[in-house]
Parts: sequence; C-alpha cells; structure tokens
Amino acid sequence: MGNLRCGIEIHVQLLTKSKIFCSCPTSGSEEPNSRTCEICTGFPGSKPVLNKEALHQAIKVALALNCKIAKTTFFSRKSYFYPDLPKSFQITQYEVPIGSKGKFENIGITRLHLEEDPGALIHKGATCLIDYNRSGIPLIEIVTEPDFKSPNEVRLFLRKLITILSYLNVYSKKNEATMKADANISTTGERVEIKNVTGLKEIEKALEYEAVRQEKEPAKVKETRRWDSEKGSTSLMRTKESEEDYGFITEPDLPKIEISRELVSLIKSEIPELSLDKTSRFQKDYKLKKEDAEILSSEKKLADIFEEVAKKINPDLAAKWLVRDLIKILHYNKTTIDELNLDTKHVTELLDLFQQNKITDNTVKEVLIQLIKKPFSPREYIEKNKLLIVSESKDLEKICKDVIKENSTAAEDYKKGNEKSIHFLTGQVMRKTKGTADPKIVEKILKKLIK
Amino acid sequence: MIIQHYLKDVKKGNISIKKTVKSILREAKTLNRKYNCFNVISEDLALELSEAQERNSKGRLAGLPISIKDCICVKNVESRAGSLILKDYKPPFNATIIQKLIDEGAIIIGKTSQDEFGFGGFSTNTDNIPKNPFDLDTSCGGSSGGSACFTQLTKNPHASISESTGGSIANPSSFCGVASLTPTYGLVSRYGLIDYANSLDKIGVMTKTTQEINPILDIIAGKDEKDSTSLSIKRNSDNKVKKIAIIKEAFEIENKEIKDLILSNIKDYDVISLPLNKKYSIPTYYIIAMSEASTNLAKYCGLRYGATLPLKGNFDTFFSKVRSEYFQKESKRRIILGTFARMSGFRDAYYLKAMKVRTLLINEYKKAFKKYDILISPTMPILPPKFSEINKLTPLQNYQMDALTVGPNLAGLPHTSVPTGFIGKFPVGTMLISNHLDEEKLLNFGEQIENRD
Repeated sequence: MGNLRCGIEIHVQLLTKSKIFCSCPTSGSEEPNSRTCEICTGFPGSKPVLNKEALHQAIKVALALNCKIAKTTFFSRKSYFYPDLPKSFQITQYEVPIGSKGKFENIGITRLHLEEDPGALIHKGATCLIDYNRSGIPLIEIVTEPDFKSPNEVRLFLRKLITILSYLNVYSKKNEATMKADANISTTGERVEIKNVTGLKEIEKALEYEAVRQEKEPAKVKETRRWDSEKGSTSLMRTKESEEDYGFITEPDLPKIEISRELVSLIKSEIPELSLDKTSRFQKDYKLKKEDAEILSSEKKLADIFEEVAKKINPDLAAKWLVRDLIKILHYNKTTIDELNLDTKHVTELLDLFQQNKITDNTVKEVLIQLIKKPFSPREYIEKNKLLIVSESKDLEKICKDVIKENSTAAEDYKKGNEKSIHFLTGQVMRKTKGTADPKIVEKILKKLIK
Repeated sequence: MIIQHYLKDVKKGNISIKKTVKSILREAKTLNRKYNCFNVISEDLALELSEAQERNSKGRLAGLPISIKDCICVKNVESRAGSLILKDYKPPFNATIIQKLIDEGAIIIGKTSQDEFGFGGFSTNTDNIPKNPFDLDTSCGGSSGGSACFTQLTKNPHASISESTGGSIANPSSFCGVASLTPTYGLVSRYGLIDYANSLDKIGVMTKTTQEINPILDIIAGKDEKDSTSLSIKRNSDNKVKKIAIIKEAFEIENKEIKDLILSNIKDYDVISLPLNKKYSIPTYYIIAMSEASTNLAKYCGLRYGATLPLKGNFDTFFSKVRSEYFQKESKRRIILGTFARMSGFRDAYYLKAMKVRTLLINEYKKAFKKYDILISPTMPILPPKFSEINKLTPLQNYQMDALTVGPNLAGLPHTSVPTGFIGKFPVGTMLISNHLDEEKLLNFGEQIENRD
C-alpha cells in the first residue's frame, strides 16, 4: 500500500445546551419532534440567530488544531433537496471557514467550519418518518489534507482528535458511534470519495476495504462510493461528471461575524493543557515512563486523578495502579472513566495504606473493584474487614508457631532440605491471616523458627 | 379623519372601537367583492381584539384598524404570501411586528392581496388580483397592491403594513395615490415575514397621508433579538431638510406629464447624476433577488405545510409535482433564473459580481448624501397600466418598470412615495430618498410637498 494517499472530512456534534440557530435544547426528551420550533423546522418567516457558544467552541477546536482563525467570517446556504432538510438548504460556511491551515499530529488541517445538522429519517416498513430533534444541532466539519498513508494512521488520528475534543469539553464520547466521516482515498488510480461512514471502527474498515480494492482495480475517473457497513464493501454512487451543485449563496439572515483578537485570546486562555503537553510534562515532572504518561494523559479525568493522587503518593506507584489496574477494572466492568464517580480522596487513602505496607496488592485490587461501584472510605472498609497486614511480629510469630506445630511433617521436610515445604507452610500462614500478612516476612519467620 | 385624531378621540371615549371595527369590516367585505384587495378578512381576530380593547383600551394604537400584507405571518390566520402553495397555511406564531401592533392595541383586520411572494410590480402574478381604485381594468401596482388599494378606498381610520424588496411599497402607493414609507433596511424586524430576498426585504407603512406614517413607524421600528439583521441604533431625530437634488437619470423618462407634474411641485433643487445606478441597478437587483428567492422557495415542497398532493413515487418526483402544480409562472421563472445565477461555473459571473456591484451602487448614493438631505425621483416612470397592456409585456419589459425604485431598495435606503396630484384620473407619486436612518427628514419634507388633489 505504498502509494496510498488519504484525506478525511469529519463531522462532530458540539456540546452546546441549545441548538445552533434557535433556543431548542440539544438533549433531553427522545420523543420524536419534541425538541423543535419554527426555526429548526424551517417554517416560513422564521429566522436563525447564531448561538455564540457554538461559535466559541468551534474557535476553541480550531485553535487546538493550530488553525489560523478568520478575522471575519460568514455563513452560506448550501442548497439541496432531501426530506430531512427542512429549509431545503443547510446553513454552513463556504468561502471563509472559521479555521484554516492547521496541523495536528503531523496531518495538515485544510479547514474547520461550523454548520447545522439536518433532521433524521426513521424508516418504518414502507413509510418514512422524519424526526427534527437533531435538526439544528451544531456541527463542526474538519477537513484534512491527503496526508494519511494508511487506514491505521487515520484511526490513530481520530482517537487523538477525540481525546482533544473531550479535553476541550466540546464533545461527548457518547457520540462516538454517530461520528460521521467522508474520506478521499487513492492508491495508483484517480481519487475516490467514500461518503457518510458512521462510527470510528467503520471508518477504518471502509478505508481498509477501499485500499485493497483499489490495489486490484485502480479508479480510472474520480468517483464517489457508498460504504455498506452490513456487507462490508463500497459501491459506486456517481462519477465526477454528475457531481452535485450546491449553488452556494451568502446567508442573508445572518450578519458577518467579526472574530476579534480579544475573543481569540480569551478562548485561548480557556484551553486546558492538552494531552501532548501533558504527556511530556508527566515524563519530566514525575519521571514516568512514556507509555504510562501517554495513557494517563489520554483522558483528562484520568490525568487529573493521577495528579491529585501523586501529591501524596509516589508517582510511580500511582501511575502503576491507575494505568494497569484501574483501567483493567473499568474495561472488565464495561464502563469509562467519564462515567466513573470516583473520589480521588479515596484512591489516595487506599494507595497510602499500600505505600505504608499496611495492605497487600490483593487488598488494593479488591477495594478498587468495590470503589468503582460506589464511593466509601477504604480505611474504614479495610479495618472493618480486618484486611490490614498482620505486621505485629509477635502475633505473626505466634501464628507461625501454631502452623509449624500443626504441620510438623512439612517442617521436618524443610529441615531435611525440601525447599518446597516452606511454601506450603507460608500458604498455611497466609490462610490463617486471611492474606493480610506479607508472605516474604512470613517466610523469614518460619525459616528462623524451624532452624 | 387622520389616524392621530382618531386615536385621540378613542382615548377620550368619544368613539367606540367596536363600532369602528365593525364598520371597517363591513366596508372591507363590500370593497373586496369589487376590488379583490384582501386574501383574508380576519373578522374573528378583529372582533376579538376590538372586544378586548373596548373593555380595557390601552396602548399607543388602541383601536386602530390595520391591514397586513399577506406575506407577514399572523398567528392562526391564513398567511400565504399570495401563493397557492401555502394555501390554508396558518402560522403557529405572530411576526414580531404583529405582536408589537397587537400589544399596542391595534386591530388586525385582514391579509391584503399581493403578487405571489412579492414577485411582480402589478399584483397580477397571483390568483387574487386587486384592481385599481380609479379604474377596474387597471392595475394597483405591486407587489403590495391590495394594501394600497384598500388604503385609498377606505373611509375609516386605517393603516396598512406592507413590504418592499425592490419597490413593492412605493410602486402601488404611487398607482393608488396613497402615502408610504419604506424604512431603512433593518429598522423594522423581519421576523415572521415570509421571505422574498432576505438582504432586500423591508417592512413598511402605507397610509392616506404622509403625516399619519410616524405613529405606526414608532411602534414597529426597533431592534429584535429574533432578527439578527435588525438594527440596534435608532433613526436620526434631526428632520431639517437643507439641500435637495433631483436625480438626473430618473427624469429622463418618456412620460413628460409625470415629469412636469413632479417638478412643478418642488423648488430650489440641484440636479445630481447617478450613472452607475441607471446602468446597473436593474440587473444587480434581479440577480441578487432571484438568487436569494430561489433558495427561499426551495422549502415549499408539500412535505410540512401548505398545499400537498397524494404521496407517490420517490421524494424528488413528489417535490417536483407539488411545485409544478402550485407555483405561478413568474415564481418558476425566478427559481430557474436564480438557481442559474448561483450555479458553479456561473456564480462568479452573476451572483458574486452582482454582490460586488451592489457595494458600488451604495457608495454612489452615500457620496450624494454627503451633499444632499433628499434625492427626488418620480416613483414610477408610467401611469398605472391596464391589465390588457400588462399581458403584452415581455418579462424584461416588466422588470424595467422597477427602474426607479430598485436603486434605493438595493442600497437599503429609506424612501417615501408622496401623493403629488393626478394626470387624468390616475394619481402620481413623488419618490423621496434619504440617507440611512433619516426617515424623519423624508416624512417632514413629504408632508410639505404632499398634494392629494
């Protein structure tokens, strides 16, 4: 696939409270057409008013992708007929997008603009119904340069993009399955556009399919293809000659937008430290391994938990528990860090006990599993359940003596040189202490007593 | 009785609002049978509003009957912009200005007839064609023909709210002999106006005399959060007119009588030439207006409101059928021309070029207003034509009739048409144009030169 060139267009729903041109809520009741008004259903005489929050979020993303921000921008009408488009034109940006000429993860960002989502078609047997709840939800469209050299690069890019969007608090991961993309892909032949692929995994699948297909049959003319996710293949929609003409005009109901330098600096100041910067800072300040630093910064919430915990706990230790165990537990429970209601105080308390050698590895794991289900004080829980390591050597010595007495044959075997017997005896002590003893110490005591 | 006197009498309790409203409704019904000036007479709404006002009259327009051009949405009253494609469409909301008028005690009496979506200068591009108050075989002008016709004919206190894109207020006021103001673009909210061409549409006022315009304008003017293009600045209070000029090219019309009548009515004027406007205003106006209109009309496809047909075939076929069936010929022409002007490959040469020329035309006016308070022109280059004559006009000749009015409309400049007397049985109007937001100057000067005999 050495000749592969690919660029993508991604549509992302922003996280505003109200729609882009009216005051209808973007989330809430799922009953069809319950969140609509005369504006988002395009009734005669209704007029759009721009939601400033949508503009600010779009500028924020453009800045995070290192785009140039337009000083003046405006909206346009993109005309086409489709039953889910109530005005029969979409208000979008054409000549001057909010952001242009950016770079992210070594991929050129051609443009970033703001537009409205159309409604949704619901097919029911032979009839088709329209739900306008989605109509007017703000979208940003991000267009990249054809800089990708493999479908895998696209997947990694999109992952990192989603991380950034969540960091900026303009995107809900719940929308991942509905993230839409178009892609331009070519190998040795002409450029092929794949339209309307929904979902991250589908995007990679479609690109992989197309890369292989084009190796076998390079396109002779520019064409547009449709991805069929059920069949896992693409089919021809149209060739270049019959390309659609959207007849763009300036949206006359919305005045030009001046984006002042002050506004740009204000929005810049609201951008939190992004994951790339965080990764290098974690490596430098906490001396973490690169892989650990990357995983921790991939989720803002995880990174925040880490930094809070690392105030009291050895960073290496904190990173180990968060990166390996917490994430494993989350995966096992099919939940995400975003959905998690985890009090950092409790994590610190738990790891602090471990740091002081008061609890074992196993106890930390067990308590963590409980903690992601509901919050509670680990210290109280551990005390109540007698999970503290039996470190008082007198107590432990007594137990060891008892075990030797009860298993005199094993003790004799060890004396004769059978190393395995000591493990058996240790196991017996561990059982008696419900696992709260440190096996290394137990072994030491046993050896001392048997001699 | 002028509006101000009526409002005073109502306040004093000398006049019954209910009686006035009943009288004007009766009159509207009678006149409508002969002149087709209304698409709807909103009797129920008018009686309901007058009932409330009679009990507890309040507001600055308490008890004043007002007719509304069909293209402005009145809640629960059929509002179809003169088009059959919106037949039976009753908006679920009031236009901002309708709410303002009702809040100030005005009584909405009905929706006046017009060219479909404002597409025309004679109110003939519709199913309900209004007739000239002075001759039944003659046009009222357009597109606000019904408004002008009823304003002229009524014997009751009344104002009409109309709308202009390229001259649709001034033109019929001139042909029907009434006074009108088309305000600065953005002075009056367009929220709830069924769009023709959004960057040009302006809601304005028609009354019998110029002095009656201001009380209505005071109510409807002002910033509206729902219309992003509405202006937050107020109009200038200075109404002193020091220097006036006539537009040279506007008086190079064939009809010498119109020219002489208008000039005999004014004195102490300079002559100014606006060559760019003469040459480019018509093509610029029609390209922009049709481009915008063709996008505005795309939503009328029988799916959500208005006229529809049995669902059959795929949606493209269905849309096309509904649109073919219910749009007038002129609307179809404008959709096709407007779509052409913004197609890729032609867009640069037409739509984008027109947008650039528009700026040049505005600058030409702006330069003139550095020197003059008011520019003067005939409103229309001809007397109102007979329907039989209109039928013979080619589309291009038809568009040429707007030659004098499209300039100030393109530039968003306020203008009045002032009744200036008669030639034979037909009235003549003088058009006064001022700088943006100088409406007070126009109304002040208009009152001085008005001649209704």
